[in-house]
Amino acid sequence: MKGQITYYFRESISILLKTKWVGPYLLVPPMLAFMVYAEAYLAAHGITGIFSLEQRTVLAIWNASLLLTLIAGIKSCLFFSSIWGSSWFRNSLSYPVSRSSGFWGPYLAVLSIITCIFILTTGAVVAALPEPGRFSFLRIITESYIPVVWAVSIGAFLGILTTGAAGSMFFSALLLLGFLAGLPVARLPEWLCVVIPPVGRIMTLGFQYPQGLIRVVILILHSAAVLMLGRFLFGIALKRK
Amino acid sequence: MPPYIYIGGYSDPPRIPCLSLEAGSGELVALTGGPGSGKSNLIKSIAGIRSAGSGSIKIMGARPGSMRAREKAVFVFQNSNYSPDLTVRNQLDRRIALIRGVPVRMVRRDVADWCEKMELTEAAGEIPGQMNRSQLQMFSLAPLSLTSPLVAILDEPLANLSSLMTCSALSIIISLLEKTSVLVMVHGRSPLAKKADRVVCLS
Repeated sequence: MKGQITYYFRESISILLKTKWVGPYLLVPPMLAFMVYAEAYLAAHGITGIFSLEQRTVLAIWNASLLLTLIAGIKSCLFFSSIWGSSWFRNSLSYPVSRSSGFWGPYLAVLSIITCIFILTTGAVVAALPEPGRFSFLRIITESYIPVVWAVSIGAFLGILTTGAAGSMFFSALLLLGFLAGLPVARLPEWLCVVIPPVGRIMTLGFQYPQGLIRVVILILHSAAVLMLGRFLFGIALKRK
Repeated sequence: MPPYIYIGGYSDPPRIPCLSLEAGSGELVALTGGPGSGKSNLIKSIAGIRSAGSGSIKIMGARPGSMRAREKAVFVFQNSNYSPDLTVRNQLDRRIALIRGVPVRMVRRDVADWCEKMELTEAAGEIPGQMNRSQLQMFSLAPLSLTSPLVAILDEPLANLSSLMTCSALSIIISLLEKTSVLVMVHGRSPLAKKADRVVCLS
């Protein structure tokens, strides 16, 4: 039957395109500009090292990724919690729709919107580069997309587990922890990657290919694990008495 | 909101200790009972969005919540039939298209005609929060008119309606009775209880 699979995806896209959901992404360009300016200021005053154009571009891409990860995670927690926690959503499960799409539809809708924002943001950074150098950043851009996917997956897991506010706070704390753990001064054992997502390590090791690759794989596995756990909890919640 | 695994969750336990009921084709069965007697829980169990404690429920031989049952039945809940974020018109278009199994563009004309007939064209362009409860309740009944369900299960369908809309809603429900089994949860003095073939009282 037509629309059985895509019903929740389309409903979610319609909701996500409302100003209150898409509006916060407008914060990304000014915040990114501020971060790039601040880093340039610190470099000019000798507080950090002097970066080449390539290094500054990589840094700008990771800055964009960090900002989007933060906003995507918080918005995901709020959105998933509000949609899966609402009575209309539960009542809508009485329509002839695939119940599995009740989980995957909203997830893919959020991921699609955030992917568009990510492409626009990183596209703007890369578009500012001289033409011959553009393609060398494809790997960095691909890597920097993974934390955004991770944020949406964690948002889906937390959105089903708890309220939007609590989920957002937990996510922000986890991101901060992951980021701080990735700073060069923090020396953590590798096994902690399983517990603390290696978001920061990917970002700080972004220059050192292929050392960052293993972290990318771990982060993908981390995303997949929490996503499957979220789907499992969704199934349990549907069978409640 | 509850702090753990919350999907429009429920904190109240099932309240109906025992019920045995069968509704035939073209029959209108009214379940009456006071507030808190378990009417809304029952419709959720029949819709398969809440598990019954024990026993079995079948919709034309299919278990509640299965795709086969949901394709044959239309459920109208007492509240929260529409998302608060989107216009009712958009949601109604998509919902009718989903139930009929056709693309949205093929139902837009029918939905527009129905809204015009019910004098709800203007209200349809608004989100649920902007319209009154009577209009919202009327929109909840729209799938009954715009699709041909074999089973209709309605929770307090006349509860929030103005007297004028009550007449329209009654005629929608009565017109279903040619080929649809209708199960309504109502309070004792509802006009639907008077028109029902059978009235079952939940005490």
